[in-house]
Amino acid sequence: MIAGPHVRTGAYEERPPMHDMSRLTTGISGLDQILAGGFIAGASYIIQGQPGAGKTILSNQIAFSHLEGGGKVLYVTLLAESHERLFQALDVLDFFDRSKLGNDITYVSVFQTLRDEGLDAVVKLLRRETKRQGATLLVFDGLLNARDRAETDFDVKTFVAEIQGQAAFVGCSVLFLTSSSVKEISPEHTMVDGVVELTDTLAGVRSVRQIQIRKSRGSRAIGGLHEFEISNTGITVYPRLEALADPGIAALEPATGRVGSGLAELDALLGGGIPRGSVTLLAGPTGGGKTTLGLHFLSQSNAEEPGLHFGFFETPHRLYAKSRSLGIALPASGSPDLTMHWTSLSDNILDKLGDQLLDQVQQRGIKRLFIDGFGGFERAAHHRPRLIEFFASLVDRLRALSVTTLATWEIRELVGTDVTAPARDLSAILDNMILLRQVEEDHRLVRSISVQKVRDGNFDSAAHLIEFAEGGLAIGASLHHELAAPSSDPIDG
Amino acid sequence: MALILVADDEYFLAVMLADMLEDEGHEVQTAPNGQAALALMRDAKPALLITDFMMPIMTGLELAEAMHEDAALADIPIILVSGAQGGIAREKPELFQAVFDKPYQRDGLLAEVERMLNGKG
Repeated sequence: MIAGPHVRTGAYEERPPMHDMSRLTTGISGLDQILAGGFIAGASYIIQGQPGAGKTILSNQIAFSHLEGGGKVLYVTLLAESHERLFQALDVLDFFDRSKLGNDITYVSVFQTLRDEGLDAVVKLLRRETKRQGATLLVFDGLLNARDRAETDFDVKTFVAEIQGQAAFVGCSVLFLTSSSVKEISPEHTMVDGVVELTDTLAGVRSVRQIQIRKSRGSRAIGGLHEFEISNTGITVYPRLEALADPGIAALEPATGRVGSGLAELDALLGGGIPRGSVTLLAGPTGGGKTTLGLHFLSQSNAEEPGLHFGFFETPHRLYAKSRSLGIALPASGSPDLTMHWTSLSDNILDKLGDQLLDQVQQRGIKRLFIDGFGGFERAAHHRPRLIEFFASLVDRLRALSVTTLATWEIRELVGTDVTAPARDLSAILDNMILLRQVEEDHRLVRSISVQKVRDGNFDSAAHLIEFAEGGLAIGASLHHELAAPSSDPIDG
Repeated sequence: MALILVADDEYFLAVMLADMLEDEGHEVQTAPNGQAALALMRDAKPALLITDFMMPIMTGLELAEAMHEDAALADIPIILVSGAQGGIAREKPELFQAVFDKPYQRDGLLAEVERMLNGKG
């Protein structure tokens, strides 16, 4: 039942550590990323968080991953909860393997030793046990209880120093688990090589689990808060996309040439198609034809230019039905030329979405990407001020992979020439912008399309009629001037 | 009434089991690991040992092996209670007379204790 270390692939590389030190990888790829390669072997760390924050799952997951590499683990508890209760809780997790218990990983309680003989006796017992088991990783669950027993801060400091000193001497790494929020001035904080904090907070009605590396001696960890989730595979950490290593776009030769949008008339308005490797925002009200335009774009997918629909609204089934009814020929369902990736709008993690998107793009060598739409990412962001940085980082990674991207943005006004959103900041990070509008003319809804911006290119800015017709969207003549011009700057948010 | 030795590093489990056995009229000693248990039984030989497997310093298996080697202790019957190593223990019936998987049922364990004590006469 044991699964291999949980590996996620993403469009980013790990930062090099400051020094070339041997690493104890956690087996959690997102955590290894923010730790710049993992814990430092032979070093000691505090893992802190309130009860229920995930400390026990995290440390057991790291422990079982450590066994995969041939390591030995000594797991020491000071708590009243029985080991059997712990095992029952871990049984539902893929990484947990009862057959390893007592062989490669040993769980021992030192409660009685602490109570009857004190901290010195615990230190001595752990020294003997570490040696006896040949442990390369020591997990000490219950530093708070050890603190209760210590008479002074000096005792705690001595205890932590002795445990980590004797462990380091035999090349054993140590994780101290504590449910207290260890303040930065507390003695144990100054002793250990790193501090990892897990939190579980509320954002509105939603629970948000986050991990933060509060201290990381000798290693350039990626600071700040990163979201994580707990599932049957254990903990998965999603590093903040914009905090990861730059994809190095400045040094890359930009892609050249144009790709067809799937609509010859639109290609003409764009000055010969969509610039290859660019990112285009398709803004418009609901019902304005955004998704249909995206289907036209994806209908051009083939083995050389595989397409991906990354959407939050219509399911793949409905998208195929829609394309059939409009007469837009998509590659057959199941064809490697076109992938449909649908995510429901419920409780998403922003960086998980980014990771899934980049993962699909890399795995399948996607060259045509339709995101329907940015709003799905926006809704997943519980901290909205970072959205622009997130999108900037996401589109840079897509540009670095020469993916031609079309992304939708829903604007509030269903009918009218006035256009607010998207905000200027968002427009600035995108290469091209196409605006779809609906206006009422003689009690009739008239749809229009206009190209607002094409990076480094000439284009036809006139608004043109657009209609749903046999074979999909049909672009017609240019509109009257009074209907064509928005009454305000469309990109003023 | 008999002297029973309970070896378990999990203090609360050891105390709970000791209380249960005392309620049945037995005298109970507890030890947090195999080595401590060995020292206690050399002082006062129990009629029965109930031991955990995974313990610091000396495991339940090592304890049973040490008793097996020692003529003075080899005849003490042993019940192993374990969450994960029950299988290993069942392969060694010469060392363990009975094996209970944690979490065990109180009545089942007590019945086995009585059976062993009475069986010994």
